[in-house]
Amino acid sequence: MRVIIIGAGEVGFHISQRLAVENKEVVVIDTSDEALRKVAETSDVQTLQGSGSSPRMLEDAGIMEADILLAVTDSDEINLLACFFADMLNDKITKLARVRGERYTNYKHLLTGEGANITKIINPDEEVVNSVLRLMSVPGAVEINEFAGGKIRLIGIHLPENSPILGSKLIHLRSKIGEDLGIVIAAIVRDDQLIIPSGLDVIKKDDVVYFVCDIRDQEEILERLGISSEPVREVMIIGGGNIGFKLAKALDNKYYHTRLLENRQERCEYLSEHLDRPIVLMGDSTDQEILREENVHDMDMVIAVTGDEETNILSCLLAKSLGAKSTVTRVNNFGYMPLIQPIGIDYVVCPRLSAINSLLHFIRRGRIMSSVSIKGEAAEALETVILEDSPIVGKMVKDLDFPRGCLVLCFQRGEDVLIPRGDTLVKPNDRLIIISTRQNIPKVEKVLTTKVEFF
Amino acid sequence: MRWKYVLCIIGALVACVGMTMIFPLAWGLYYRDGSAHPLALSMIITIVTGALLFFAFRDSESSKASSVITHREGMAIVALGWFAAGFAGGLPFYVGGVFESVVDCVFESLSGFSTTGSSVLTDIEAVPRGLLFWRSLTHWLGGMGIIVLSLAILPFLGIGGMQLYKAEVPGPTPDKLKPRIKDTAMTLWKVYLLFSAAETALLLIGGMDLFDALCHTFGTMATGGFSTRNASVAAYDSAYIDYVITVFMLIAGINFSLHYIALKGRPLVMLKDPEFRVFAFMITIFIVIVTIAVYTGGNYDNVADSVRYTAFQVASILTTTGFATADYELWPGLTQAILLFCMFVGGCAGSTGGGMKVMRITLLCKQSYQELFHLIHPRSVSHVKMGRTVIKNDVLSGVWGFFILWIGLFVLAAFVVSATGVDVVTSFAASLACIGNIGPGIGGVGPTENFAWLPDTAKWVLTFCMVLGRLEIYTVIILFVPEFWRK
Repeated sequence: MRVIIIGAGEVGFHISQRLAVENKEVVVIDTSDEALRKVAETSDVQTLQGSGSSPRMLEDAGIMEADILLAVTDSDEINLLACFFADMLNDKITKLARVRGERYTNYKHLLTGEGANITKIINPDEEVVNSVLRLMSVPGAVEINEFAGGKIRLIGIHLPENSPILGSKLIHLRSKIGEDLGIVIAAIVRDDQLIIPSGLDVIKKDDVVYFVCDIRDQEEILERLGISSEPVREVMIIGGGNIGFKLAKALDNKYYHTRLLENRQERCEYLSEHLDRPIVLMGDSTDQEILREENVHDMDMVIAVTGDEETNILSCLLAKSLGAKSTVTRVNNFGYMPLIQPIGIDYVVCPRLSAINSLLHFIRRGRIMSSVSIKGEAAEALETVILEDSPIVGKMVKDLDFPRGCLVLCFQRGEDVLIPRGDTLVKPNDRLIIISTRQNIPKVEKVLTTKVEFF
Repeated sequence: MRWKYVLCIIGALVACVGMTMIFPLAWGLYYRDGSAHPLALSMIITIVTGALLFFAFRDSESSKASSVITHREGMAIVALGWFAAGFAGGLPFYVGGVFESVVDCVFESLSGFSTTGSSVLTDIEAVPRGLLFWRSLTHWLGGMGIIVLSLAILPFLGIGGMQLYKAEVPGPTPDKLKPRIKDTAMTLWKVYLLFSAAETALLLIGGMDLFDALCHTFGTMATGGFSTRNASVAAYDSAYIDYVITVFMLIAGINFSLHYIALKGRPLVMLKDPEFRVFAFMITIFIVIVTIAVYTGGNYDNVADSVRYTAFQVASILTTTGFATADYELWPGLTQAILLFCMFVGGCAGSTGGGMKVMRITLLCKQSYQELFHLIHPRSVSHVKMGRTVIKNDVLSGVWGFFILWIGLFVLAAFVVSATGVDVVTSFAASLACIGNIGPGIGGVGPTENFAWLPDTAKWVLTFCMVLGRLEIYTVIILFVPEFWRK
């Protein structure tokens, strides 16, 4: 499978690296020599220097034989133009474009419809907003991902010291919190290492536990795990850029008391004109005075989403020291990821990581519906639909030829969510959610891939 | 400022007003009550004067230079045009001998055009019916606006007509319904005509004759208040007629642009309009409170009557119509206070109602809240909004200026009226009733009294107030600012 990636920025770089590891033919196009060299040095890909929106470059990159085009430069226009040309040159190719400007994203239906034929528009900002909203819905969670159209959730959470499941083996888990609730522990993060657990692993203090459950059971499970959660209502958003504005707009209702802090006068005017309830404040997020004036110590959540990650990190630390209950920081640079927890920031959102997640979803072979990276990029959770002619239909879960470090988390059969046992049979049209460490992804895909696709 | 051009347009306006006298003339001929002669004479004088002005100045150099009306010329045309129409409209009363003095004729005529409805007639039923019809017709013409009417029918006003339109249409930011101003004016008049036809039909069903039905329709749709009976609408003593008029007074108090959109098949737009919502809320809450007050106060024996008279009076005062079916001066103090407040508020922007307009009051309240909000969040950046629309600062300061001028001129007029020897309550009430285009006030000019007994000076001042109120202060008062006359 050949994949053409236009733009060797952070997103292009990581995607190409991921795909190269999975043995795909990757061609990266970028105008910057520097960026291309960096890609070529770290992964086994072909690089071409030039503008991705030029048909000539696309032809040179082998657009006729390619299966997927990813347009992920920082310019919406170049991404769209590249997709338009790709469509004219090879109408069978899957085209994914990263588009952030509201002037385009409001017309998604035109871009993905007849004429433009773009397979999917990926807007990282929107996904960041969604992940923040999910975090707000489960206070205390480290990470929340959704599957099966929002019916199943994968939640990562710090366990409190009085949690009843501390010190117990996973096989005894259900007897501890009740047989009636479906819950599977997907992963445990201990000392910054991700473990895909077996039934014999023990949950220890300070672990971050990732579990899968039906969204309807979520509250009950959280309660039985000993996690008491106060709902988030008082919110302060720092940075009124694209993400800050979208977030404030999503929180523009009676339930939330939102304040939006922005330091540019003109942008403040725009925000105040387009928002109804949120209070737009003008000032610097590192100014203690304004944070105190606006009662930062009463905030349930402070969300820093300016374009500058150093500002985000520092304002969150400041807010935290002034008494804010929890903080969310937007980080672009993956290099800062390991720093986040030690310095005391609660949550991280990353537009680029979100973009990578969405892009990966489309690149997976077989009928994989969605996939998300967990704990940075250490592991991936995949959602897949089993076709009639899949090689695994009729097999029991314990007989599946999955590699170690890979776990079937749950089944969705019709409307029901099943927690699999070793002897559960795989039936056609089941949706499976599988967690796997990154290096085992190709093997998992191989097991799942339908026979037909081999020819 | 091209004076010749301004006079030319005013001439056209006056001729237009003269031509509308054909309708009362027809009634005069039909009833043979002696009103045909003065009406025909007035009509000829008015049309000839208007035509002379028009043709004398039409070909002057300055008019030819450019037919685009400037901002200043627009205001001068509208303000002076209104006074000219007022004098022309008073002519039939003068020729017909209804009043002895000029001031009474002009007062009655401008009270009609400005849709105030204050009267200096002591015995209405004694006046010939042709002249009564003219009196009510001035309401109807002034309600939607004589300028808007001219824009709709006079083709040469098309260019720069927006200046004229803005100077006459009530409200801080007039809507333009159609790309062309002529079509906008035409559309508004069509909506106005449609509602008027509907009300006339409903009143005919209620047992009024065509003459009374038309006159009361004119008084209602224009939110004027002239009746053809001494006892106003109470003379019919019919719950049906009371409710029909109540409903149409409320309709006339709503922005006609909203009516247009509703008639175009999107009635829900009205419910979402913030000004309409405030208006509807006020109407409902006031009717409820006043009903409870008059019922418990023992003014009426049963709830049905309490509701009927309350709804009529509240609608009449809030929309600044001024019809009366009850003497609210006998009602409990609270209800009078509420009605007094209603006099200040008036109808919605873009309606035929007077007062300061619901829109302006709402904006003032919102801005005051904004100030409080700023004290709590000193660093906040916020805008005053109506629904989702941001109200620009220049509009807001325009509203503040309007508010101050309105109150200031109202108080000033009250000082002058009281200086002529009228008691304080009546002075203030009469000034409020005139600048708010309401009609009846309280005290010596309450719903059962009239303005005939006031001294002439007071009548001139009040006449001026009526035009000030109808043209929303700025257009008229600008003529008195020296800067306006500088070259």
